[in-house]
Amino acid sequence: MYGGGYIFSEPTQKEQDDHLDDPVMLAAFEARIGQGEKIEPQDWMPYEYRRQLIRLIEQHAHSEVMGALPEGAWITRAPGFRRKLALIAKVQDEIGHGQLLYNAAETLGKPREAMINDLLSGKSKYSNVFNYPAKTWADVTVIGFLIDAAAIVNQVANSKGSYGPYCRALERICYEESFHIKQGYDAFVALALGSASQRQMLQQALNRWWQPIMHFFGPADKNSVHSEQLMRWKVKMASNDAMRQQFLDSYVPKIWELNLTLPDPYLKKNLESGKWEFTEPDWEEFYKVINGDGPCNAERLATRKYAEEHGHWVRQALINSRQQFAIPLA
Amino acid sequence: MNAVKDLILKMADDSLIIGHRSSEWTGLGPILEEDIAFSSMAQDKIGHALALYGILHEQFGELEADQLAFNRKESKFRCCHFAELPIGEYDFSLMRHFLFDHAEAIRYEMLSSSSFAPLAQLARKIKGEIKYHVLHANSWILRLGRGTEESRHRMQSSLNFCMPYALGIFEKNEAESDLITEGIFAGEEHLRILWEEQIWKQIDQAGLQFPNVPEKKVHMGGRSGRHTVHLHMLLEELSQVFRMEQGVEW
Amino acid sequence: MKTKSPIVDPRIIRLDLEKSASFNHLGDMEVWGTYEVFHQKKRGDQHIHAGVVHAPDPEMALVFAKEQYGRRLKCANLWVVKTSDIYSIGYENEDMFETVPEKIYREAGGYKLREKISQYKKSITSVNIKERETL
Repeated sequence: MYGGGYIFSEPTQKEQDDHLDDPVMLAAFEARIGQGEKIEPQDWMPYEYRRQLIRLIEQHAHSEVMGALPEGAWITRAPGFRRKLALIAKVQDEIGHGQLLYNAAETLGKPREAMINDLLSGKSKYSNVFNYPAKTWADVTVIGFLIDAAAIVNQVANSKGSYGPYCRALERICYEESFHIKQGYDAFVALALGSASQRQMLQQALNRWWQPIMHFFGPADKNSVHSEQLMRWKVKMASNDAMRQQFLDSYVPKIWELNLTLPDPYLKKNLESGKWEFTEPDWEEFYKVINGDGPCNAERLATRKYAEEHGHWVRQALINSRQQFAIPLA
Repeated sequence: MNAVKDLILKMADDSLIIGHRSSEWTGLGPILEEDIAFSSMAQDKIGHALALYGILHEQFGELEADQLAFNRKESKFRCCHFAELPIGEYDFSLMRHFLFDHAEAIRYEMLSSSSFAPLAQLARKIKGEIKYHVLHANSWILRLGRGTEESRHRMQSSLNFCMPYALGIFEKNEAESDLITEGIFAGEEHLRILWEEQIWKQIDQAGLQFPNVPEKKVHMGGRSGRHTVHLHMLLEELSQVFRMEQGVEW
Repeated sequence: MKTKSPIVDPRIIRLDLEKSASFNHLGDMEVWGTYEVFHQKKRGDQHIHAGVVHAPDPEMALVFAKEQYGRRLKCANLWVVKTSDIYSIGYENEDMFETVPEKIYREAGGYKLREKISQYKKSITSVNIKERETL
């Protein structure tokens, strides 16, 4: 699962000066993308294209691995065989997605160890939404249904991007996400149609998650650093606002038809413009969480460090001194 | 018929509890690839429990699987103490997986020709899954046993710690002789002999020492409903949401 | 460790997170090298590249690939090959694969026999008629 927005960093002037691309190669590269052809790992590519793609795919990978934690909290407590098996399979898929995405990023030349190190040091980010706690079982159903739905909107857009290995990974990921959203929706509806206390638990979870969901696609286009170049290179595929609108359009009616409410009195579809109107979420909170001050940032990072440290002796025992880093082929 | 019910119940409880324990590693494994593999085996085990409770429900009129697993008193559980222990470090979890799954593989192999058709069918159906579990376990034990000084030491300590618990897998049920005479299951003693032979080979290849365990040190009691303190806590956790409200869909 | 929100995962509560707080570095090759995985959906099909696994040796690569690439895809067989053992023609030479259109002798459509045969059959018929007339 991954959201849009706040992925890309603008290159500094020095970086731009240090890495001037050969204009002939650049023109050929852009022409290839213009014709809808994919870029493959062994191709020549602009420095900035490689840098931003590594950043994008790596953060996506981290988000999958960290995304396993909030839902993982309910693996041992999931009610009944069906929910328990589905939840383990789902969280397992998230780890699997992380694996696929790290591989895709490695084709650009950055080893998995370096990416994990950047995650542990806080240098590399992951999606904000995973820095909130899943307080009750209902939170798991909200994540499984709505966060996964939001992620699909983003991932389907990205799967039409220009970089071959990322597209291939996303193709499989989107296929699995369609199971995730189904199982999430199923558990969500079970609570919505259940007893009064089940419904109440669900409504409270929905209220808690609405703001993180609205944050998911990133700041409004007018406020975010908008890179025309990244759009032209098909690295960034859809604007934050467009993805958020698409999400609201598909899922708000599915929430309302169950007679559940959303904690925004101004949320409505403007029938004239066809656009959804809503209260701007608190963007200060968004930046606060990105910079490490969310409710669960410390716990998530500490948990990841625990896993890496406790796996260290296992990995160490099997290190093969004859193996060398080779960039994966595809 | 009580003997066969006992057999199925203890197998189901073992699978449920061990599968639950394995799922505690999901998202926390030593490397992503292994995390995925271990989660699959957790699902397989819980799936085996579901199938076995299903047999109890269909053949013997017991409650449905969810009720048996999520809403039963601790003293009615028949799992061995070995399955109940917390996951500890990865060396312990791998060693438990190795010792337990070799016993599972032989048990299901024996059951595949059982005169009790539902068990024989299940045994044939999950043969492939169990084969993978054993391959996975053997691959790890061999490599970590012959890995670094630290990994060898960890595996040996885990083996020494596990063995008195592992032998508790073979605790006999009262009416086991009925199972043997009726051709349902050839018995725990027979299973244990085959198991020791099989794991001895692997342990030896891994360069580890086979620990000697006096019979009185073996952890028994699980098969008659006496459990470790860990099972109590595990069941509380397992059924926390399920028992919040009964008779509703979750 | 200071957490702003109480930990809700009982699995995590049981861990001593504090002790790992200073762990922040994986060494070079700590997650091992890569193997390319090829997957055959069913007997009779080609093996197709499915992705990559990190593993210390080929046997472990198979153990891992079985779950990462075989748990959802229907699968009859898997191959793994060490990444560095694969040779490929670089994309910079992609133009070598371009076929010039004149090479129709290599295409099935380059052989138009039906027309010839029809003409032949027509000519045979006219000969037969002439032969009868002369009798």
